[in-house]
Amino acid sequence: MGKGRIGNNIRKLRFFRNEMTQQQLAEKVGVTRQTIIAMEQDKYSPSLELAFRIARVFEVPLEEVFSYQPEAEST
Amino acid sequence: MSFQEKNITVSLSIFVAILGFYLIRVFQMVQHESFNSTNLFRLWGIIAVLAVIGTILATIFTHIVGGIVHKVRTNEDPHIEDIQDERDKMIDLKGTRVAYTLSSIGVALSMLTFVFGQPPLVMFSLLIFFGVLAQVVADIWRLTLYRRGF
Repeated sequence: MGKGRIGNNIRKLRFFRNEMTQQQLAEKVGVTRQTIIAMEQDKYSPSLELAFRIARVFEVPLEEVFSYQPEAEST
Repeated sequence: MSFQEKNITVSLSIFVAILGFYLIRVFQMVQHESFNSTNLFRLWGIIAVLAVIGTILATIFTHIVGGIVHKVRTNEDPHIEDIQDERDKMIDLKGTRVAYTLSSIGVALSMLTFVFGQPPLVMFSLLIFFGVLAQVVADIWRLTLYRRGF
């Protein structure tokens, strides 16, 4: 089974939360700012726990933050 | 460049220097026909001490000198992200896996020298070579993962 692509709307959600900085989000969810940058650039797919923590910070369901595209659709 | 990347870069530089020093010393021993167990095991000790001191120096260098450079350049107090989050741990694990794989291959290749009738000294010199090489390759792999993502 091929690897799909996990996209996210973190940048957009930060913008709609009064331009929350990457550092602020990082501190709220307990990771480094570099990890937030990597996620926004689709260079890192977070663990399920971190994904839930991010969704909780933005007070939206998980599906509004992250989306999954199977390999066939993403290519 | 994040704190972890700087730390790995400094560590990589130190281990490349150690590897170079080791290779030069071994070649010198072979050239001067002083490639014997006493000299080789003394070199093993030097390499082990250098590796420990190098690792400590890498951490101190990254923390202190990095902080001073940051303060001078930006006039802000350094914010050192020395915590390891899940991404850092994952990258560290992937690097360690590469190091173990390469070390295992190195041990197997070193043992193979017996098959070709080489003396035990060759095996011992190859063992430490592959040990340091594994560390270098693992650090390069970690840096690649930080840059490329995964």
